[in-house]
Amino acid sequence: MKLHYDDATERFRAELRAWLEENQPDVAAVRADPSRSSAHVPEWARAWQERLFDAGWLVPGWPPELGGRNATPVQQLVYFEEMARIPVMRSYNPQGLTIIAPSLRDFASPAQQARFLVPSLRAQITWCLGMSEPGAGSDLAGLQTRAELQGDRFLVTGQKVWTSGAAHSDFCFCFVRTDSEAPKHRGISVLVIDMRSPGIDVRSMPELTDRERADFNEVFFDGVVVPRENLVGPLNQGWSMAAGSLAHERGMLWTSQAARLEQQIDRLRELARTPGSDGRRLGEDAVFRDRVASLYVDVQALRCMGYRGFAKFAHGEAAPEHSVLKLFGSEIEQRLCLVALEAQGAEGLDVDWAGFGMMGDREPPWANRYLHTFANTIAGGTSEIQRNIIAQRVLGLPRS
Amino acid sequence: MDFEVSEEQEQLRASVADVLARECPPSLARARVEGGDAPVQPWRSAVELGWTGIALPEAWGGLGLSFEELGLVVEEHGRALAPGPFLATTTWFAPLVRETGDEVAGARWLAAVARGECTGSAAWGPDLAGRDAGVRARRDGDAWILEGTQRFVLDGDSADELAVAAQVEAGDGCALFLVPQQALKCQRVVSLDASRPLAHVGFDGVRVAPDRVLGEPGASRGVLARAREEASVALALETVGTCRTLFERVLEHARQRVQFGRPIGSFQAVQHKCADMFVQIEKARATAHFAMMVIAEDDPRRALAASLAKAAAGDCQRLVAKEAIQIHGGMGFTWESDVHLFARRAKTGDLLLGTAREHRARLAALLEL
Repeated sequence: MKLHYDDATERFRAELRAWLEENQPDVAAVRADPSRSSAHVPEWARAWQERLFDAGWLVPGWPPELGGRNATPVQQLVYFEEMARIPVMRSYNPQGLTIIAPSLRDFASPAQQARFLVPSLRAQITWCLGMSEPGAGSDLAGLQTRAELQGDRFLVTGQKVWTSGAAHSDFCFCFVRTDSEAPKHRGISVLVIDMRSPGIDVRSMPELTDRERADFNEVFFDGVVVPRENLVGPLNQGWSMAAGSLAHERGMLWTSQAARLEQQIDRLRELARTPGSDGRRLGEDAVFRDRVASLYVDVQALRCMGYRGFAKFAHGEAAPEHSVLKLFGSEIEQRLCLVALEAQGAEGLDVDWAGFGMMGDREPPWANRYLHTFANTIAGGTSEIQRNIIAQRVLGLPRS
Repeated sequence: MDFEVSEEQEQLRASVADVLARECPPSLARARVEGGDAPVQPWRSAVELGWTGIALPEAWGGLGLSFEELGLVVEEHGRALAPGPFLATTTWFAPLVRETGDEVAGARWLAAVARGECTGSAAWGPDLAGRDAGVRARRDGDAWILEGTQRFVLDGDSADELAVAAQVEAGDGCALFLVPQQALKCQRVVSLDASRPLAHVGFDGVRVAPDRVLGEPGASRGVLARAREEASVALALETVGTCRTLFERVLEHARQRVQFGRPIGSFQAVQHKCADMFVQIEKARATAHFAMMVIAEDDPRRALAASLAKAAAGDCQRLVAKEAIQIHGGMGFTWESDVHLFARRAKTGDLLLGTAREHRARLAALLEL
């Protein structure tokens, strides 16, 4: 057991820090042209992702030709710790980088990889993920969007919903039903669908936080023609990709989540210095102190749990233990925002976003942050689904 | 950065678990709770196998290992619901004596601990709420006279030696003394977990000779704080161990107990409770192991880590002890079931050395809220 990284690892960190110092996007450029959705990649963001790719800092665990440097698992951990410290994300098409690119790498043919993988990593093409449907949320395998094979092409008809970034993405990594007779898990395939194809209708669907900002969309497919060569992996074996895709996302997600939560704890410490409704410093309120300390315990615990399970997670395997970190981390964030909001009293009701933006001077209102936390307790498998997974796959309780 | 135990540590842990599974079934704790005498085991095995001196220097007959190894042994003691003087002797008494840096006392008392010839405990001084006046000491020539009462001392009426924190009117106001059992006036507490015996300890003009004064009277507050941090982490580890075994019993029960024609573990209401218990256990275990490393490496985050671990262990037992009884249903409500024995031990672990809430208050101060 060791509390600290060795010297070689710290040198790796220092090299990354120096590089980031030199190569981070210019604040003025970011503010002038902010990203408007999870697939809207402004020019500065594209150039930034390309710099990361060329320097081998985009996906350090991968080889140089895929934007990496064959970094060891411990180095990757340090990488994610450092990336959580800077105010910009690696990619402004996060699903493209963290879910679809790894799936392409694992399952796509060499020809598909040549066409899609490196261009995705270099932010030349952007993606949305076609999973959820009106009738298939937690029960994802119940999806109904049909793809009929006719000769060398599929005809796709159906509807996706809650599709992040669909309005700005070039392609959809789309889960479709290709065998309606088979048991539901065995009739699913994955198609790459060009979002400019005739027959696709994208309707924006603002989230609960703000009517003016929509990342979500409904996507309608009406006889959309998709060439057979766009089938990823074997026909009717797309389900394993669905599980695998999300696992990629979770391997190291806790690092940035823990860092984000630590930053929010600092915000709570600042809040403690402001007056509460009785005029005294909030920090003098015993209940507030207890709640903040409790959140601090949870955030530190999340980090310790991540480090403890790290060996297992490092290989990017679909470890069901990820569910523990996903469940715990997302629920801490929800509690944290609620503690801040309730501590503010009526002040918390002012949800004017003016002046807030990417790298803006102001933090978004706690009420909005609280509402936004449901993104993490619902997306990627709801907290209830995570509890089912923990009970059945980690603890071995019988399926209901 | 490596939170995994080493291969040698895992071998040690597994061998401790083996021995305790053999020598220390829950029936030992039950016998103690039901009024039996202090059991010979697992203390005898601990002495024979060197666990009593595991973290003590080899010069004193110890194994010269670190607090990590001691912590793993303590966690296994918690898993086995072990009764006996191991916890108080190795994680309360020994650190307090060792932290004074008094080589003479170390060579005498801690070598005796390593050999299994001396059991000990600690009287930590007034509690944070000031409910307890504690013990005062005054000079009498080159000796000292102790007056007062320390309440709720673990193994207070059975430990051979008690390391006592007393108030003095000099320096930082804190002094440490060693007092033998026969000089104490003890009143056994009818405690929630009688396999973890507590006593109110009276000092009725106890005269302490100079060779039983630890360190410099009036300069012991730092020593006391460091020893208490170590003891808190050990107690957190023990509580985590107890909760883990309790949770294993819950899972076994949920798989086997059939109602409405199905194992109750197949019901989502039960599954979700189990998932939440597992999260709390993982949380408490990870923070306790972090704190164990912090103590072993003497990292500057000691105070923070100790309170983190103790608070997380408190949160964990709160949920696990409650749901364990609840999920066991009518069976869990009987004296015959061992569930309540584990629940009593886990609760005791939270209430001693500062509850989760008290440690959160300390964290709030450390965070400068």
